[in-house]
Amino acid sequence: MTFKRLQTKLTVLYMGLFGITLLMVALAVITAVTNSARGVVRDELAASGEVYEQIWDSRSDQLRQGAAVLAQDYGFREALATGDEATVRSALDNLRKRQGVDGAMILATDGYLTSTGVSPVDAEIDVLWNGLDQAGVEAGVLTLEGQAYQAVAAPIMAPVLIGWVVFVERLDEVQMRNLESLSAIPLSASVMSRSSSGWGDGSGPQPMLRTAIEAGVASANAVPVTTRTEAGPAMVLAKALPNFDDNQPSVLVLTYPIAAAMKPYQPLFIALGVIALIGAAILAAGTYFLTRDITRPISVLDDAVQKLQQGTHVEVAVTSQDEIGRLAHSFNGMAGDIRDREARLTHMALHDQESGLPNRLWLEREASADVTAWVVLLGIERFEVMRNAIGYESMAQMMTALGSRLVALSNGEGVARIGAGALGLIVKAGDQDQALTIARHLCASAESPVTLSGTTVDVSLTAGVASCGPQNGGVDSPVDRAAIALDQARVSRQRASLFDPVAYGDPGDNLSLISNLMTALKNGDVWVAYQPKYDLRAGAINGAEALMRWRDPVRGFVSPDLFIGMAEETGQIRPLTEWVIRQAIKDQRVLAKAGYDVTLSVNVSGRLLSDESFAAFALSKVADAQAKLCFEITETAVIDNPTVALAIIDRFAAAGIAVSIDDYGSGLSSLAYLKQIRADELKIDKSFVLPLDTSARDGLLVKSTIDLAHSLGLKVTAEGVETATALALLQGMGCDLAQGYFIARPMPIADLIVRLGEPAVPVSAQREAPSSIRAA
Amino acid sequence: MKFVLALFSTLVIATASHAGDLSVSVRDAAGRPVKDAVVTVHPASGVPRGPIRFSWPLRMTQEDIQFDPYVLVVPVGGTVSFPNLDRVRHQVYSFSRGNRFEIELFGRDQTRTHTFASVGIAALGCNIHDQMLAYIRVVDTPFAGKTGANGDVSLSAVPAGGATLKVWHPRLAGRGNEGSRTITVTAAAGRQTFTGDFSARAAVR
Repeated sequence: MTFKRLQTKLTVLYMGLFGITLLMVALAVITAVTNSARGVVRDELAASGEVYEQIWDSRSDQLRQGAAVLAQDYGFREALATGDEATVRSALDNLRKRQGVDGAMILATDGYLTSTGVSPVDAEIDVLWNGLDQAGVEAGVLTLEGQAYQAVAAPIMAPVLIGWVVFVERLDEVQMRNLESLSAIPLSASVMSRSSSGWGDGSGPQPMLRTAIEAGVASANAVPVTTRTEAGPAMVLAKALPNFDDNQPSVLVLTYPIAAAMKPYQPLFIALGVIALIGAAILAAGTYFLTRDITRPISVLDDAVQKLQQGTHVEVAVTSQDEIGRLAHSFNGMAGDIRDREARLTHMALHDQESGLPNRLWLEREASADVTAWVVLLGIERFEVMRNAIGYESMAQMMTALGSRLVALSNGEGVARIGAGALGLIVKAGDQDQALTIARHLCASAESPVTLSGTTVDVSLTAGVASCGPQNGGVDSPVDRAAIALDQARVSRQRASLFDPVAYGDPGDNLSLISNLMTALKNGDVWVAYQPKYDLRAGAINGAEALMRWRDPVRGFVSPDLFIGMAEETGQIRPLTEWVIRQAIKDQRVLAKAGYDVTLSVNVSGRLLSDESFAAFALSKVADAQAKLCFEITETAVIDNPTVALAIIDRFAAAGIAVSIDDYGSGLSSLAYLKQIRADELKIDKSFVLPLDTSARDGLLVKSTIDLAHSLGLKVTAEGVETATALALLQGMGCDLAQGYFIARPMPIADLIVRLGEPAVPVSAQREAPSSIRAA
Repeated sequence: MKFVLALFSTLVIATASHAGDLSVSVRDAAGRPVKDAVVTVHPASGVPRGPIRFSWPLRMTQEDIQFDPYVLVVPVGGTVSFPNLDRVRHQVYSFSRGNRFEIELFGRDQTRTHTFASVGIAALGCNIHDQMLAYIRVVDTPFAGKTGANGDVSLSAVPAGGATLKVWHPRLAGRGNEGSRTITVTAAAGRQTFTGDFSARAAVR
């Protein structure tokens, strides 16, 4: 059983204990009283039995004497012996009346019966005769006409036995009531005999008493037993009585109902019950009030703990010096500690440990409090450079100093440290222009040199401004928007800038782009386009660059610059490249079937060159297919591990894979590349080739690069050849290969086969419109 | 029964018109000898004419408030004397059929007599002393006697030939406490054994 309240539990517990005790006492009392009552009844029944036995015996003696008087009378005997019937009958009747008995009989030894007062039938005479003659019964119960009689016989000797005088007296209600009146308890007495329908008296059979009667008949010294009767449980004493009929024994049955025996004790039991109820009520009330005093402080503590749990600070009044008092005291101490610790934690959570200024979280909270306000982030220019110059500790001091300066400038508003070199605050402004003006003003005002350890340090600040209100652009936090605005201000070299969601784009979208790309690879939304490479010396197209193209069902055509750049940054470039290599090998087989021997170039990110497993894949693929491939090493990423990368390039070369240095002249490419990479080909970046028609300076750069490559034993490919003039100039410069819209745009493999069947160089100098799609 | 038949055949073969002594032994069911059983034999040829005399005195003494003897065999018409040897007085009576009599109180050393005219039984009692009981068996044959303590009685000079043997005893089961059978008496000394149930009650009126 579970209790919600200690008070209830204690009350129920005490009540239970008291109840059990009371129950035991009641049981003891009831048992004792019942046993005592039973004892009294048992003794009384036994005594009554004895009394009746004596009454029986004395009555028997009385009857016998009366009968004997007649039996021994000489005149009577003479009359009987001589067959003087009339005399005999008159004498018998005379004596019966004188003695006051119910009936008198003479049964001669020859079976002849003379009776007065009763009229036995033959069967009854037989019973009497058998009892007297065979069993030698002289006194006992005799049933005549269904009525039990006490019968006593006296023999008539003349001088030998010639018969018996038998006196009978009815065992009727009157006699039983007389017997009952002799007893101290109101028992009921009756004489019962066994007949074919069981044991019973004149009023009918009593089947429920059978067991008790038979126990009494069987035992010489009968004891009262408890049995069930029609009137409930009763104590019954059955005493066997002699009977003239052996087959029909008789018993005296004394019955006393238990209910009657218990009746005198009923007031006692009622009193006991009332006392128990009153006691229980007193105990319940007492326990309730006592436990209330005990449990009240506990309940108070319980409530306090619950409040504490909900974050409310509580203090419990200490009212006692006992355990509960001490507990309350300890609780107060604990609650205080928790409050202090919580405050410390909150402070720590909302403040920058280094400078002691509030932190970003604090600013976020402040920003969310007022949607009409603006977040201004002030970033220190060249922060890392400065930090390297003056040290971390001084930089922290400077942040603190700038913070307090800004606090003073903003009229005591809080200033938070947002990052290592950025401070932020909330300003009120009517519109964005006003906010920008304030930001510029803050920058300008805070820019006065800071003195640190006696040294003056110049500070240059840039501000990013964002509205605290909701804004589109995928950035939820105004502080983040301000930080992005700060970056945007730096990029645009402005003192202060508002957050520009359009310029920011959505970096989150890029991430889903990559996963879409991986799906597209499986779905076939990505394909390879080939841009032919024209061999200026041979005057034929003998190569093509494999370029990935992706048309997303939702996004439409996705720029390779975008998705390949993203793939490189997210590490997904390898599966892309492997897919292109597989596709190129497959397509080369298609071209070979069409009768064209074309070297296919695949762009390989510098990042992949240090990947041993990629190298193993590429080598085994190429070797298996006997493919003629060229790996154009793009310079969009730095080669991470030059030693490993160069070894791998060597292995490519050994396997017959040509290596080309792509986009030479732009980006990160340098002479170090030329020195280190054992390449077969150099591709001059199109930024040099496109203006070839107009710029003599570019022409010189291209010419000298071609010469440089040739002197290193490399072939040269010019990218971005879009005019016949450029092609002619390149040819003049000794360039080996040309690639560009003038030759052909990137095209599907089927178109490539068609193009290979056409003249290598267009007959008319056609110029195609520039497109956003360009050769990589 | 076979034994009895065999005995009977032997007796018939040995028949002669001489008289012989007949010895009768009375036994109860357990084979014990029965005392005071009265044995009478009535020859088929009839009893001899003339008064019957017995060897024992026809006397019923009252001594120590008892009759003595317990059973007395008396010839029909015989007169029995009743001497009172006690200090107290007695009043002897018999309600028995045919032999009803009453001798008024008589004292010490007084002798009364009564003549028994009918054959049968007289159960004698004393009206004063209930415990006093005796039987007088009135017979009409000289061949009568009562068994002694050994259960035997010897009848002398019983004429040979067929006869009816009767045994009476107050406890003998049977009509009138009597049992009878037909026997053949031989000239030589014969022996009869009577076995009966001697647990009945005296049935005398």
